[in-house]
Amino acid sequence: MIKVLFFGPVADRVETREMDIEYADGMTLHDITHKVGMQYPGALSIVSFIAVNQTQVHDKQTPLRDGDEIAFMAKFSGG
Amino acid sequence: MSEPVRIQEADFSQDAEIAALKASSRRMGGIATFLGCARDFSEGRDVSEISFEAYGSMALAEMRKLREEAISKFDLLDARIVHRVTTVQAGDNIVFIAAGAAHRAAAFDACRWMIDELKQRVPIWKKEVTPEGESWVTQHP
Repeated sequence: MIKVLFFGPVADRVETREMDIEYADGMTLHDITHKVGMQYPGALSIVSFIAVNQTQVHDKQTPLRDGDEIAFMAKFSGG
Repeated sequence: MSEPVRIQEADFSQDAEIAALKASSRRMGGIATFLGCARDFSEGRDVSEISFEAYGSMALAEMRKLREEAISKFDLLDARIVHRVTTVQAGDNIVFIAAGAAHRAAAFDACRWMIDELKQRVPIWKKEVTPEGESWVTQHP
């Protein structure tokens, strides 16, 4: 299972903070972003950063492993 | 002694943070600090509350990395970063950064660098509550 997390303004648009997506062999980050984008296009449009296991990832072809945690995040505004 | 990098709901004491920083080295000749606090207006609107949300595990890891980088980049003797994640009112403390170095120039530069980097790199978001409703802040000037 892949755990998908949403924060701040992205979570508001998705209307949830967390969802599980069934893992499949050969799955990449692109598969998850595509799935989320199809379901919640308004949320994906404000995503500026994606992290896999708490590390920012830019390559959508990044392979995933069962149990990975993916976070979709808008621009940060702490401080 | 408290951890030098923390995310917490509770308010912090600048005196306690500075005392902890000073206790780390007797060679410290300059300490620069930044205190971020809540304003009661933003872009022409009254702001009654600001609430913060963080991707806790990643935010803490990134803040720890940031501190280590600052210590190495500016040759600091020690540094501390504390960020509150809760709901605050005007005047309340939000973030505290302290940089301790042998001389003032490195302390000033490192302090400025850390808050600028924090705003760019640490997954924390703020939502302002105004009479017109709530809105997420997406810029970080």
